[in-house]
Amino acid sequence: MKIYRSIAGSIAVMLISGVLNAQSAVVLYNERVVEIEQTLADATDLWVKPEDLTRVNDFVLKPEGACLDELCIPVLQDRDSDMYVTRQGQGWFNVTELADKLQQAHVADYADGLWSFGTMPLQRQSFFRGGQAPDFEMADRDGKLIKLSDFRGKKVLLLTWASW
Amino acid sequence: MPVWQSIYEELKSQNFEIISAAQDTGGEEAAGPIFDDANVSYTALIDVNHHISALYNLLNVPSGVWIDEEGKIMRINEGTYAKTHFDGAWGTDDYVPIVRDWVAKGADSEYVWDRDKVRESIFQRTPEAERAQPAFRLGGYYFTNGNDEKAEQYWTMAQQLDPSSWNYLRQDLQYEEGGSAGPEWRERRSQIESAGGSYYAPLEIDRN
Repeated sequence: MKIYRSIAGSIAVMLISGVLNAQSAVVLYNERVVEIEQTLADATDLWVKPEDLTRVNDFVLKPEGACLDELCIPVLQDRDSDMYVTRQGQGWFNVTELADKLQQAHVADYADGLWSFGTMPLQRQSFFRGGQAPDFEMADRDGKLIKLSDFRGKKVLLLTWASW
Repeated sequence: MPVWQSIYEELKSQNFEIISAAQDTGGEEAAGPIFDDANVSYTALIDVNHHISALYNLLNVPSGVWIDEEGKIMRINEGTYAKTHFDGAWGTDDYVPIVRDWVAKGADSEYVWDRDKVRESIFQRTPEAERAQPAFRLGGYYFTNGNDEKAEQYWTMAQQLDPSSWNYLRQDLQYEEGGSAGPEWRERRSQIESAGGSYYAPLEIDRN
């Protein structure tokens, strides 16, 4: 009986994963490389669990919507929509749909489950309108995290160059 | 590079920092020795995904941006060699003196641009060209993971989406026969220049 139940359990798991057709994904977001164990299979969109949304782009799913700092994009959660669906009790969030709403560019290699996102236009509004330097965060050669905004109070000459 | 280090030594006590970001998919191996040879003590970054060029809409290297104490841009998108190279082919000896002037006088420097001039000088990318960055990033991921075929596919896509970026073209050519300053680069450059364009974003030293 015990054995029977565990077989039944495995069949159930197989059925559920068959229905979900869950597959892993890798998301490239600014300097991040985020590995996601399970996504909801879709030909063109990236659906992730709400906790993985935050790992990708810092957005947090709240009752009022998907929020990043002051910004909240309304998301219906009591029924399925372009942005959010529930399958077998698990909620899935559409990251590419959010990017489209925010006019954030993205490119994917569907076959390999790789998704790459550009900069978020909202975060560059004050750059284009008011000449505010967009902030960035990057590890230096010693692995120390450098933020442009840490240099407030100093004049900064930002230079780009290349070895090639 | 050694020139910037000496300028940094000269000006660092005046609330001044240099952040130098190598736009190099080849990472530490490609760019590290150049920083080391110059003994740099300013902030040295190796920006493998060309993230800073994408964020500031810079199309070529070297490029420079002046950022004041409040994070406001004072000048942007200029081809900034610290001195004249190769018998005057690149750069100018006039750039460093204007940096000095700005560090000493701040907003009162006659080389500081007003807000409109800064706004006009920010390069505008089309929505299509905005997709070049994630495509280039994807190519870089494949490159790092040893899949040269897919790297080439997405780097080519990036160049097609944003044909105005020299960085995307030349980073790719670096890994091809002929290199980043080979025949293909020379041909593209002469096309631009014979049409009256400028390969480097022009440097305007004129006083306001």
